[in-house]
Amino acid sequence: MSLKESDLKKDPACTINSLGNYLWSDPPDENKWADCVHCGMCLESCPTYEQTGQEQHSPRGRVHLIKSVAEGKLEVNEAFADPVFACLDCRACTTACPADVDVGGLIEEARGQIRQAMPLTGWKGVVSKFFLQGVFPNQDRLHLLGSLLKFYQKSGLQKVVRKTRLIHIMPEHLVEMEAILPEVKQPVRKKYKHADVIKAKGETKRTVALLTGCIMDVMFSDINEATINVLTRNGNDVVIPQNQTCCGALHVHAGDREMGRKLAKQNIEAFKDAEKVIVNAAGCGCMLKEYPELFREDPEWRKKAEEFSAKVEDISKYLHDTDFEKPKAEIKTRITYHDACHLAHGQGIREEPRNILRSIPGVEIVHMPNADRCCGSAGIYNITNPEMAGAILESKMKNVPEDVEIISMGNPGCMLQMAMGVLKYGRNQRIVHTVQLLDWAYQKEDSLKEGKG
Amino acid sequence: MRGKEIQTKDKHIQNLAKIVGGVQSILYKKEDLLAYDCDGFTIHRHLPKAVVFPKNTQEVAEVVKYCNENNLPFLARGAGTGLSGGAIPLNGEVIISLVRMKRLLSVDLENRRAVVEPGFVNLKLTQSISDKGYYYAPDPSSQYCCTIGGNVAENAGGAHCLKYGVTTNHILGLEVVLPNGEIIEIGKNGIPDQPGYDLLGLLTGSEGTLGIVTKITVRILKNPEAKQTVLAYFDKVSDASQAVSDIISEGIVPAALEMMDKTAIEAVEAAAFPVGHPRDIEALLLIEVDGISAGIDEQIHQILRVCKNRNVREVKVAQDEKERERWWANRKTGFGAMGAISPDYLVQDGVIPRSKLPEVLERIKKISEKYGLRIANIFHAGDGNLHPLVLFDAKKPGETEKALAAGSECLKVCADVGGSITGEHGVGIEKREEMRFIFNDEEIMAQTNIRDVFNPKNLLNAGKLFPTPGRCVEVKKERKEVITS
Ligand SMILES: Cc1cc2nc3c(=O)[nH]c(=O)nc-3n(C[C@H](O)[C@H](O)[C@H](O)COP(=O)(O)OP(=O)(O)OC[C@H]3O[C@@H](n4cnc5c(N)ncnc54)[C@H](O)[C@@H]3O)c2cc1C
Ligand code: SF4
Ligand code: SF4
Repeated sequence: MSLKESDLKKDPACTINSLGNYLWSDPPDENKWADCVHCGMCLESCPTYEQTGQEQHSPRGRVHLIKSVAEGKLEVNEAFADPVFACLDCRACTTACPADVDVGGLIEEARGQIRQAMPLTGWKGVVSKFFLQGVFPNQDRLHLLGSLLKFYQKSGLQKVVRKTRLIHIMPEHLVEMEAILPEVKQPVRKKYKHADVIKAKGETKRTVALLTGCIMDVMFSDINEATINVLTRNGNDVVIPQNQTCCGALHVHAGDREMGRKLAKQNIEAFKDAEKVIVNAAGCGCMLKEYPELFREDPEWRKKAEEFSAKVEDISKYLHDTDFEKPKAEIKTRITYHDACHLAHGQGIREEPRNILRSIPGVEIVHMPNADRCCGSAGIYNITNPEMAGAILESKMKNVPEDVEIISMGNPGCMLQMAMGVLKYGRNQRIVHTVQLLDWAYQKEDSLKEGKG
Repeated sequence: MRGKEIQTKDKHIQNLAKIVGGVQSILYKKEDLLAYDCDGFTIHRHLPKAVVFPKNTQEVAEVVKYCNENNLPFLARGAGTGLSGGAIPLNGEVIISLVRMKRLLSVDLENRRAVVEPGFVNLKLTQSISDKGYYYAPDPSSQYCCTIGGNVAENAGGAHCLKYGVTTNHILGLEVVLPNGEIIEIGKNGIPDQPGYDLLGLLTGSEGTLGIVTKITVRILKNPEAKQTVLAYFDKVSDASQAVSDIISEGIVPAALEMMDKTAIEAVEAAAFPVGHPRDIEALLLIEVDGISAGIDEQIHQILRVCKNRNVREVKVAQDEKERERWWANRKTGFGAMGAISPDYLVQDGVIPRSKLPEVLERIKKISEKYGLRIANIFHAGDGNLHPLVLFDAKKPGETEKALAAGSECLKVCADVGGSITGEHGVGIEKREEMRFIFNDEEIMAQTNIRDVFNPKNLLNAGKLFPTPGRCVEVKKERKEVITS
């Protein structure tokens, strides 16, 4: 895991709040780069280095540049921002690094400094402000956006737009995204608004709280439904705290750590009474587990954040560790599994989801080479760095075996990106969340039983 | 990504950009260049003038020709994992990065050879042919990332070189761009042992001072039928090194025979790939034998017996491939693991007669005490290649100098007991002065004379491999030039 407790316990390296040419508080943490011995063992793990072959776009190079600013050799400027923002935050380097250097953490801290030194301008600024501050943290607006999307899909407008090629007014990469937007169903937070608790089927063994996620609940509400189904099926009462909000990962990746802290505090409060916080989006789970990083300069909240993070668990690991019921119905299909970066590299979860898939009778898992290579989605990276994201997606798709029907994974961002890949490269796989498959298997089992009975 | 045009008036940059195909293939801004101011050896740093990324031999040749004609110093760079500073642009060189020339050009199983571009990563070769039952033997610990071009330049070795030999034993042919831009081929058709001087041998290990390698024909081997790996823990270093000697004198030639001392064990256990070694042992041995299945069990038997005779505390055989891989990942990330227990490290690379190990380690311990710096030891015990890792903190004033001095003294010890100052990492910048421990002035001059035949203007990677100018060697050389001109 990228988060090291020992680092958090240490006092912040610098008690004055700036460092070298980092002029704002919460600068990149010296203790993190002190571990880097410049050995280069991380190079080949890095998708942006694979694409460019350039050191400044490698983990080692990025750490070196971040350190150089602290040493006063570089300024926080456009040229520094480029390699720092071209990072996918995929954490593959953290897995590869023998010294456990938390490159991802450093990148996020550096982005925080860059965004304060040079706020975004131009369309990127507008897009980023609109989504990050206006939409994601605001449930009502997200729902509105979701409803619009739904209307757009239901009314046939989508078809019209696609047919009339109106769509080509949008930049190309947005067109590609539009084409694979999932059909929006009703968000679970709305659906269960008045239910204090969704009761377990049969005897209650445990109670868990569910993070519904912001985009997740609007665009992928069916995955949230599936998550609730498999949880209740396995003896869990599920609560959905209504005052929870967006996890803040996208904000933190974009350098808006202040907003990240605000959202973190709200979530920590919202899940105060929960014993377990279940997450079905790898990116969100990773962020929640890293909340303490946001409060390096605030001991009181850091403590709360640590307590909170300890309760967070990815759905696949939770099911696995609580010995989930093995489905009995057969789903005959060939599946390949993609390791979402924030599950494999960020949380060290690799085998659990595969075991869940393997437990379904009839499922054959086909190995995907470089399964834990980033797909290029990385939050809103595919909106801000379309070229690089496209190149990375291309090399990902080359690794998807030809003869599979389903690509399974545990992160909605990856699902969108991979769906785009399927469309763009004329493939025909379905993109499915791991828990959805489990849910389908359970449902099939039930309907068979009913049919028999 | 950033900028579609070259934003500088420097005409050399503009011309170089034209050769390599534009802005995507050249770096010239300070912010980007800073990432190239050193390689795996971080004590010396210097900014290059530019970094170019040629796509093919022709572009390399043109860049070289341009530099040569305009008297711009230049050097080649692979992955930059070198540990002796070979790729550091001491003179503000134009760096020719070969990482975009990374194709596997052909595999010829029948004749057991493969042709690769210089930027092809070492491990990828084995990965590309393993399904057919073949592999590439030289396996430096950095094989996940280092390039075969860099391996040729440094004549890299690895854990399995005890039985199979170092890089030079696996090179069948090279395409080289000479420092004047001329393209030559050595070892045509990959036929080994051609008549005439052994130029392949000369080029391999020349640390990028004689030419830039642009294509490499390597030997590939058939996977051994069987493999077994043993891990043995010892309470005394002397017992462990005696066990090493005993194994070899039993007539066993292990594929690999590695040792780590207590401090090294502390580091690998604190880092990313811990195995769960006991912390209170003084040394461990990692031993691998391979070959045809029939003989393997017998060899393992012998090894276990030898270890027991030498008071081993615990010894075990890897139960499956997973366990074996875990042991090797732990060992192979040993250098990087130092980051987990120290902010900086300096790795030394001496060779000693195996029998001298206990004595050498004792003397290294004294050096460690003298400088107040911890020294970990990782040892290719089978072939006597010792890596003392001097742990220090560059932020503490004076500590870098102390580390350098301690490292140099370790090498002196190696030379004193009849060994050498480098086994596989090369001389680079780091060990230029230590060359004097083993060569006298005449011997060094004989070598610089050879260099001058290939690299007469000394524009290619100047200031590496031999003691710094201004000392007697270069003075003599100048005198000679006066006489001959
Ligand atoms: C963690 C770690 C472990 C290591 N373990 C080992 C080990 O077990 N055994 C071992 O031998 N080494 C080891 N090394 C050292 C290093 O990896 C090797 O020397 C490797 O061969 C360097 O390859 P590179 O591609 O990184 O070359 P670079 O570091 O980029 O260059 C090294 C030298 O080669 C020259 N060069 C590079 N490419 C070319 C070319 N195409 N033509 C001509 N000259 C060229 C450069 O100018 C430079 O002088 C290790 C390094 C690290 C960081
Ligand atoms: S980040 Fe880790 S792997 Fe990369 S250079 Fe630094 S220590 Fe080595
Ligand atoms: S997080 Fe991913 S993109 Fe960023 S430096 Fe690490 S490996 Fe490269």
